[in-house]
This record gives sequence, C-alpha cells and structure tokens, in this order.
Amino acid sequence: MKDLVKYIAKSLVDSPDEVVVSEIEGERTSVIELRVAKEDLGKVIGKQGRTARAMRTILSAASTKINKRSVLEIIE
Amino acid sequence: MDFIETEGKTVEDAIEKACQEFNLSEEMLDIDVISDGAPGLFGFMGTKKAKIKASIKKVEVEDKLELAKKSLERILVGLRTDATVDVKNDGNKILLNINGDGSGVLIGRRGRTLDAMQHIVDKIVNRSLKDRKRIIIDTERYRERRIESLENLALKLGEKVKKLGKPVYITPLNAHDRRIIHMTLQGDDQLATTSKGDGLLRRVVISTKKSRSFS
Repeated sequence: MKDLVKYIAKSLVDSPDEVVVSEIEGERTSVIELRVAKEDLGKVIGKQGRTARAMRTILSAASTKINKRSVLEIIE
Repeated sequence: MDFIETEGKTVEDAIEKACQEFNLSEEMLDIDVISDGAPGLFGFMGTKKAKIKASIKKVEVEDKLELAKKSLERILVGLRTDATVDVKNDGNKILLNINGDGSGVLIGRRGRTLDAMQHIVDKIVNRSLKDRKRIIIDTERYRERRIESLENLALKLGEKVKKLGKPVYITPLNAHDRRIIHMTLQGDDQLATTSKGDGLLRRVVISTKKSRSFS
C-alpha cells in the first residue's frame, strides 16, 4: 500500500528524492502519511484537490482487496 | 499523413497553416523551410511565397506511450490485479485498455476508480506541459456502456420534463458525463439543458425551452 503511494507521488513531483511515505498500521485502518517538498505540495494535491482525491480513490480500491481501510494524509 | 507542405506570405504564416492542418501546436511539429517568402516590390511585384514542410514529432510520443503503459501497470500491481494493458496512440489521445478479471473493482462506483487512475496517469505523462496527450483508460468497454446509459437517462428524463413541464435535476456528474447529457438533448428543440452548481456538485438541469425563457 505504502509502495503504491510512494510510486505515484514520486512520479508526480519535481523532487522525488524528497518524497517520504510512512504507514501507521492499525488493526482495521492504516494511515498513510505523505510528505513532499514544499514546492511539490500543489502537484500531489492538484487543482481543487483532484489529484489527492484520485490517490485516495485508488488507495481505497487497493484496500478493499485486502479488507482494510486506508487513509491518506498529506502532511504540510 | 507523414508530412505536409504549406505556403504562406511569410514562413510564420506557413507554419501557422501547418499547425491548423495537423491541429497541433508548433512545438509538436518538425518544420523544414523550403523557401523563405519575399515581400516583393510594393507588395505586388515579384512576391514569393514562403514554403515549408511539416511533420509530427515522433520520439516524444513513443516515450509518452511507454510511460503511460508503465505507470498504469505499476498502479495495477499496487491494486493486486493480474491485469494486462494494451496501449494505442490516437492523435492527441493515448488510449489504454485494461484486460482485467472483470470483477469491476477497477471500475469502481460510476467509474470512480477508472477516472482516478486516468487522472493520475494523465498527470504523470503530462508532467511537462508541452505536447499534451489526453489519457483515456478503459476496461470491459465501460466507457462505451457508460455513454449509452447516460444517453438513455437523458432521453428518459427529457420525456419526463416534457410531460411535467417542470425542470428536472440530474445527480451531480463529472464534466465528461454532463457533456454527454447536453449533447444527447441538443437536437431536441423543446428542451434546454444547463449546468448549475460548482465543482463536484455541478449538475445538469433539463427544462423546457418555454419555461427557461421566463426565468
């Protein structure tokens, strides 16, 4: 799950080296935290949050496969 | 169409014509100048037209195709599916078709997952703004089926509006889906369609032409 977010984020930003993804696993829900360079924040959020929403949708599709819930947090 | 030759008063004019011909911007074309134009004396004696040869740049396109396919495949791995991807170049569009297990997980409710993947791949492929290629992701002919069901919905609601004489709101749809509703009812001279609301809540309103002119 973490890998997928990391891949997507790294492909979207200008400074892929500064992409940090961490996962806090819970029993049923895991929280995935995404950190990017300040200049890249807009790239992962997108116009009206569209890119962030798309990432969350893909994440939830991936989660249903393993009967879990995932929450994506983009950390400023 | 491998290349075309165009003429114009100046080289710039000729390039512009070529752009219109291909319906592409100048950066996307390879331009060879065959002859520079000459303005001639007083603009009518000895004028010579500029002539150029233009063809579509190829290299970039193949890179984008490859990138689109790779990134979609990577996302599908993340979704734990054994799906394969076919990729096709269609002018300014890249069509990606997923051969999946048919479970519908990749489509999502009203195509949400499909649209999300499409948006992400679009952003990845078009990171550099030049030579923009639209990305269309499909599986199990979902896009086609969706258009069909939207057209049916539009026609059904159109009849309802005529019967009731009152406007009817459709549930919020994305821009692409709204467009299909508008297009379907465009030819009906008794009905008018408009979109109301903002962002995710924007929805199509179907009304009769008469009731609209009063408002």
